[in-house]
Amino acid sequence: MTIANPKSRTRLEMPGPVRSVLVFALIYLFLVGVSMLEAGIKDMGADTQEQLFAPVNNPLAGLFIGILGTVLVQSSSASTSVIVGLVASQALGVEQAVPMIMGANIGTTVTNTLVSLGHLRASAEFKRAFAAATVHDFFNVFAVVVLLPVELATGLISGIAKGISGALVGSSGSEWESPIKASVKAPVGWIESIWESLGLTNNPLGIAMVATGLVIVLLALTLITGNMRRLVADRVERTLNAVLGKGAGFVAMIVGLVITIAVQSSSITTSILIPLTAAGVLTLRNAYPVTLGANVGTTITALLASLATGSTDSLTVALVHTTFNVMGILLLYVVPFARELPIKSAERLAEVAVSRRQWAIAYVVVVFIAIPALGVAFLR
Amino acid sequence: MILEFFRRGDSAMDQIDARVATMINDARHSFDLATAAVLSGADAAQMREEVEKTDHRINEAEQQLRQELVVHVAVQGSSDIGTVLGLTLLIKKIERIGDQAKNILDLTDEGVSLVGAPDLDGFLADRTTISDMFTETASLLTDPDEEKVADFRRRADDLRHHCEGKVREFMHSDEPGHYAVPRAILYRYWKRIAANLMGVVTTAVEPVQYIDYTDHGATDITDD
Repeated sequence: MTIANPKSRTRLEMPGPVRSVLVFALIYLFLVGVSMLEAGIKDMGADTQEQLFAPVNNPLAGLFIGILGTVLVQSSSASTSVIVGLVASQALGVEQAVPMIMGANIGTTVTNTLVSLGHLRASAEFKRAFAAATVHDFFNVFAVVVLLPVELATGLISGIAKGISGALVGSSGSEWESPIKASVKAPVGWIESIWESLGLTNNPLGIAMVATGLVIVLLALTLITGNMRRLVADRVERTLNAVLGKGAGFVAMIVGLVITIAVQSSSITTSILIPLTAAGVLTLRNAYPVTLGANVGTTITALLASLATGSTDSLTVALVHTTFNVMGILLLYVVPFARELPIKSAERLAEVAVSRRQWAIAYVVVVFIAIPALGVAFLR
Repeated sequence: MILEFFRRGDSAMDQIDARVATMINDARHSFDLATAAVLSGADAAQMREEVEKTDHRINEAEQQLRQELVVHVAVQGSSDIGTVLGLTLLIKKIERIGDQAKNILDLTDEGVSLVGAPDLDGFLADRTTISDMFTETASLLTDPDEEKVADFRRRADDLRHHCEGKVREFMHSDEPGHYAVPRAILYRYWKRIAANLMGVVTTAVEPVQYIDYTDHGATDITDD
């Protein structure tokens, strides 16, 4: 059927099966990139590794680096995958990586907050959009405020993650036979040989490998997200239509989870919610659980990345990301009183922001750039 | 809800198209019932119940479609923006036709009935023409053949002018008010319905800026 300007509906589209094959190829490329990060760090000497990662011995510095790094690449999938690669190289320990993972969780919320600023000129729309965006921020900040001290004091989250990874692949510090690691070994070796043939060794070789790995990871993730979004756009649209007006709760959370796993990006999912809440099609309370589902769904990328490393600690760190988000939901969504905290805070902040628009911009700059930057500067 | 994600099915835009077609069928249903009460003596109370139920369905569909169009733009981006804007105008026209059917039915509240009137055959013929145009409209939206669309627009425009002529005729008629006024009002509604159907079909072929206009934007077709 074709209603209204049929010409606008006919676009040149890559056939679905071809796009699916392309996505699989890109996932493979992404895994190669993660493996290259690991190899690159290993190429560097122990002294260099020590110098590079000493700052993150302070958990708050690690948290702020996680925020800044994620704000920089606008993707927690990318930053957590890099962290997984670093843990696999043993340059970074699980304990150091946990605050960074939590920081990445906060940093990723900047994208939909920036999207909400696009509605600045229309007060009512902006108020709804900004509240829907910052409810994600508040949830992640509150979760970190509660769970980071608990983790530092008891090692609860990493303990759960270690338990799961131990049950799945073996004890901490060990390597496990990952078929994916074996499959990416050859291309990583080829690229390393290319750099070596240019005369690079030790630190220069490590830097070249890490830089190439970073470019590959970011490029592959961007392309995976873009292609998956196209592949599943109709499904996402149908599912959101089914969710609208049918209330919130755990079903909406699972919808957020499924959509995010499919598009490999929580930013995509949460950014789709912003125009919907801005238009009043979706309420803040209905958007909130979708956001939480997206928070959990985005952890799939780091889990995938850990498969390329064959390192139990990498898998543990990836599972920390999942466990942290699930525990956050148990703490801040399942408990009725706590559920209201992020919602009320976001509504209050939106009221302030709509009366003084410059505060909204100041909020983004201070929370996502100034505080983390100052934190890194002073705590390293 | 979640299974919807894994189900193979029509694209969301195809679902929107199907819902628009249902809205047109509902609008026709309301039009047929309302005119049956005025022209054929069908029980007005019974017709009102069904017309109001149908109108409620049309209104719900309009709201649902607006939501779905916002979701469409949020998910798919701006590539279909012309289509989306066209559809928002189109569904409003269909909703107005539903309201106009109710307005026609309201004439029975004032005791208007043309059953047995000397000019009834003319009214019945025009009603049949308009009713058939609803089906044609739905068909043209699904398959907007340019020649058929042009032919439809020509006929709808002729009908509109015919209705307008009738309104003028009754305005200057020497017949008493209880004879001329209901007829003028009925033709006025029919003229609006013909214009709205023409507008609906126009969305299938015209750029969004020319919808509701003819001659590349020079002539307004709905609010005259």
